[in-house]
Amino acid sequence: MNSAQIEIQLIASLVAIACAIPGTFLVLRKMAMISDAISHSILPGLVVGFFITQDLNSPLLILLAALTGVITVILVERIQKTGLVKEDTAIGLVFPALFSIGVILIAKNANDVHLDVDAVLLGELAFAPFDRLIISGVDVGPKSLWVIGIILSVTITLLIAFFKELKISTFDAGLAASLGFSPALIHYGLMTVASITTVGSFDAVGAILVVALMIAPAACAYLLTTDLKKMLGLAIIFGVFSAISGYWLAHWLDASIAGSITTMLGLLFLFIYLFAPNKGLIAVIYREKQQRIEVSLLTFLLHLKNHSEERERHVNHLQEHINWQKVRAKTVLELALKNNMILIDNKIVSLTQKGDEFTSKAIDYIITNEDAQIEDMKDDFFLFRG
Amino acid sequence: MDIKEYIELVFSDYTLRTITLGTAILGAVTGMLGSFAVLRKQSLLGDAISHAALPGIAIAFLITGSKDSNTLLIGALVSGLIGTFWIRGIVTKTHLKSDTALGLILSLFFGFGMLLLTFIQKQPNANQAGLDKYLFGQAATLLESDVWLMAIITGICLLVLLFFWKEFKLFLFDADYAKTLGFNTTFIDVLITSFIVLAIVLGLQTVGVVLMSAMLLAPAAAARQWTNSLTNMVVLAAIFGAFSGVFGTAISASQNNLSTGPVIVIVASVFVIFSFIFSPSRGLLFRQIRFIANRRDLELQKTLAFMYHIAETHENISHPHTIKILNNFQGYTRKTLKKLVDKNYVTLDGTMWSLTEKGFETAANLYNQQAIKDE
Repeated sequence: MNSAQIEIQLIASLVAIACAIPGTFLVLRKMAMISDAISHSILPGLVVGFFITQDLNSPLLILLAALTGVITVILVERIQKTGLVKEDTAIGLVFPALFSIGVILIAKNANDVHLDVDAVLLGELAFAPFDRLIISGVDVGPKSLWVIGIILSVTITLLIAFFKELKISTFDAGLAASLGFSPALIHYGLMTVASITTVGSFDAVGAILVVALMIAPAACAYLLTTDLKKMLGLAIIFGVFSAISGYWLAHWLDASIAGSITTMLGLLFLFIYLFAPNKGLIAVIYREKQQRIEVSLLTFLLHLKNHSEERERHVNHLQEHINWQKVRAKTVLELALKNNMILIDNKIVSLTQKGDEFTSKAIDYIITNEDAQIEDMKDDFFLFRG
Repeated sequence: MDIKEYIELVFSDYTLRTITLGTAILGAVTGMLGSFAVLRKQSLLGDAISHAALPGIAIAFLITGSKDSNTLLIGALVSGLIGTFWIRGIVTKTHLKSDTALGLILSLFFGFGMLLLTFIQKQPNANQAGLDKYLFGQAATLLESDVWLMAIITGICLLVLLFFWKEFKLFLFDADYAKTLGFNTTFIDVLITSFIVLAIVLGLQTVGVVLMSAMLLAPAAAARQWTNSLTNMVVLAAIFGAFSGVFGTAISASQNNLSTGPVIVIVASVFVIFSFIFSPSRGLLFRQIRFIANRRDLELQKTLAFMYHIAETHENISHPHTIKILNNFQGYTRKTLKKLVDKNYVTLDGTMWSLTEKGFETAANLYNQQAIKDE
């Protein structure tokens, strides 16, 4: 690894961390699409800022573009407040319009603006180490490293200072407001941080990857934990992991670094989406199947309790009477037998003592529908899952 | 170039004619199907789908090695559909909310698409240039065959819409009711979504993945402001979409350095802004005017009620009082007083006013009924 490679990975990792922090809160606040809107609509701000400063890394340009991001949020809210369209439509109307203005501004001034729309969307991390910050003749590192470093330290400072406020307002906006934290202030503060992060990172990784880096690590973490601090930590780890592995993927394929990082994020998400314990697809499908069987078992036991005549309790008749397919009937029958709920005597099914008690409790619960009743039964229910 | 000249050119020049027709048809079909997306609160789905189509284009090129737009569009369609149904899978099967699912699929698919595009660019194959036109669209590359394809698909869309109109309408506004009536809602849902994906994919070549969502939303959002009927909305959205296409093409053709896609989006946005402000029933302007009129009405009634309470205490209801008693707190302004005189509720005599018989009666019934409001 040469120094340029280390610098690229360092920048990518810092961007990943800087994005993961606001991203976690955006995902929790159900505002993930706002980050997409911001990342597109900063374009006109960038172009205007570039006319003024002629430098893509100037702080003024970053502030101007971030301002456009906040304006987008305000515009979306204003349009939504008129009640003419829903929130998602408002987002979908505002950012393409602003983005179009940006594209047209670039096209009309192609000779004066050394800005490429592709570069804004995709960034070019590979060139980041060549644009160096030189203070009084001393080379102190790539400019984008400094830019994103400063943004990240501001973000972390704000996060630590306002963690409590952020947490409460995210999970219980009403409580936060009644405790005296201004929800509007926290909302716009978060939006400002998201905008500044987007602008600061787009130069290195492009607007679309910023969206990916904000949403995907947070979404992955969300599937794994229910603790805010853990979620933040996991999101940061996932972000940094995909940044570094994505860099090497790009190195190997000789393709866009931003694209590779996003692809790594995609693979990571796919993996977690499928295999996350409790919340992953496989776990959910497995649980749904379990619950179906449990409900079937209950139905079956109730049927037995309601019918004492032998005809109704014959093993073969059960299929016809409860309308089950053969396999399902067999599964339920075996499960009940394993839990000592029933006895099969000469193909006639009857409830055991335990099965009888269990069924009475279940009926109690169904009739009263009180949660207190089910609490005791849960232990019985979980017998089947074990 | 004046307008007449331009119109002549549209009919005589092959390229301009193709582009104008293409964007008009595209605008019409996206407007039509966009109405359903907007009403189903799936506005951002279009954005996600259009981005999700990018890897499909790249993979189709990698497999076939051809740049034929039909082949690439099939790839885009497949990957758009995968994206759409994955979004649905995420929302229904996990705790993640729909906005997160949309943002995830959008950015992850797009990033993967970019990886493939840059990968293709590095390949030793001279044929690879021009794929990036799908990013921002290049209406200038439209061929007559592309326009035919669009026209045919629009025709199919139209037929399906007419055929399933009742089902679509019912499903749109009350999906549960549609289900209880025995309609296969999953089928209707998949049908609408597939056609929305199809319309988006059609537009990729012209407008590009980034701006395609606006083509879907803007005409529909504009049309929504003018009507409360689904039929009218779909027709209006198609008209708005078509005009955005035609005007956008005209503006971009008459200027240098203006790509068609962004201009069409801007024109469509202008339609939206115009509709937001000037629509008679929902528009902001008329709403404000109604608001002011209502407030005046209320102030008038307040003044009248105040006068009534004063007149009540006198035996002769027409006993004159000085205007000074009426102050601003009671909603009194010179204008309202004049209006009251015009309505014959009050007579003025110098600086004194007195309630007429009619005014007294109206005021007495003010709180009982609303009927007098229109008088």
